[in-house]
Amino acid sequence: MSDQQKPAASSQIIRPPQTLQSKVEKGGPGAVDLDALARAEEVIASLADDYLKWVRDDFVRLEAAFAKMKAGEGSDKENLEALFQISHDMKGQGGSFGYDLMTAIGDHLCRLLETLDKAGPREQGMIRVHIDAMRVVITKELKGDGGNEGRQLLMGLSLVGEKAK
Amino acid sequence: MTDYNLSRLNFLIVDDNRHMRALVKSILHALGVKSVLEAGDGADAFKELRHFPADVIVCDWNMSPLDGLDFVRMVRTGSDSPNPFVPIIMLTGHTEMNRVMEARDSGVHEFLAKPISAKKLYSRIRSIIENPRPFVRAGMYFGPDRRRKNNPNYNGAERRKSEDASAGGGGGGGGGGSAGELSQDEINALLNG
Repeated sequence: MSDQQKPAASSQIIRPPQTLQSKVEKGGPGAVDLDALARAEEVIASLADDYLKWVRDDFVRLEAAFAKMKAGEGSDKENLEALFQISHDMKGQGGSFGYDLMTAIGDHLCRLLETLDKAGPREQGMIRVHIDAMRVVITKELKGDGGNEGRQLLMGLSLVGEKAK
Repeated sequence: MTDYNLSRLNFLIVDDNRHMRALVKSILHALGVKSVLEAGDGADAFKELRHFPADVIVCDWNMSPLDGLDFVRMVRTGSDSPNPFVPIIMLTGHTEMNRVMEARDSGVHEFLAKPISAKKLYSRIRSIIENPRPFVRAGMYFGPDRRRKNNPNYNGAERRKSEDASAGGGGGGGGGGSAGELSQDEINALLNG
């Protein structure tokens, strides 16, 4: 086969139709200006009470997943994955509503869960302290970085994470 | 900041977490978007695309049974895809570099690190409006051109993605701050390669 007969190895460039651009206008009433952005941030802030309900629901699911793991129901892999999914959601939401400490603890828990390939008593203990830290944030409604209490919680969780490595 | 009117755009939100869908929907409405459709997973979203003319998709990564990357690949390369060119914003808590590159290579336009804010979401939408990208079919890849910046006056060395990431600078929010994770600014630098 000559070079000319070979399938083209180079990339093919395609110009898609600009449908989105044709539907967007610049400026005028209803355009997103700084005031609109400020209003949108206010809408998020107004959902903070809803967030506390959401995170409590997530926490109940997290506790249930942990209880299932502790009871030896299902495989370790499935249980660790279930815990990861829930804590990943909790990590992703906290900061949007000013609960940065919840996001930080969720991040620590996700990092820990990623390193685990089994869920024996030692691993369960490590996971438990993260869940307990989340409980503190929820019950005390610790916003922002949680101040001294938040820093101490994170310091403790960092040590736990180091032990898991 | 350029002010854009988003009221005529159709948004599809794909997330298995209804709280996250509610949050994104609330932000979009506050930004003047009128038409928002929600889907709980990638398979549902793909079905919705058959009759919903989405202009932008905001898609979570962690979903089951079809996760965000599977969904993006289906939209881009599925033989029955209703709209392979639709801009997709990947919304996720995964901010490690290898994850960002994986999302880019699946064919997403923009990457938005959780936790989100109205400002961050609008900046990604604005980027899609202001930087329409050609699509590329190269080997197994089909999606928006992964090299978005094309500066004809640039004469320097070709920087590669790892260099871009390390040069991305800090601040700017996003990311959980753990080692190996990127801030939103670093992600943008990486994707702008």
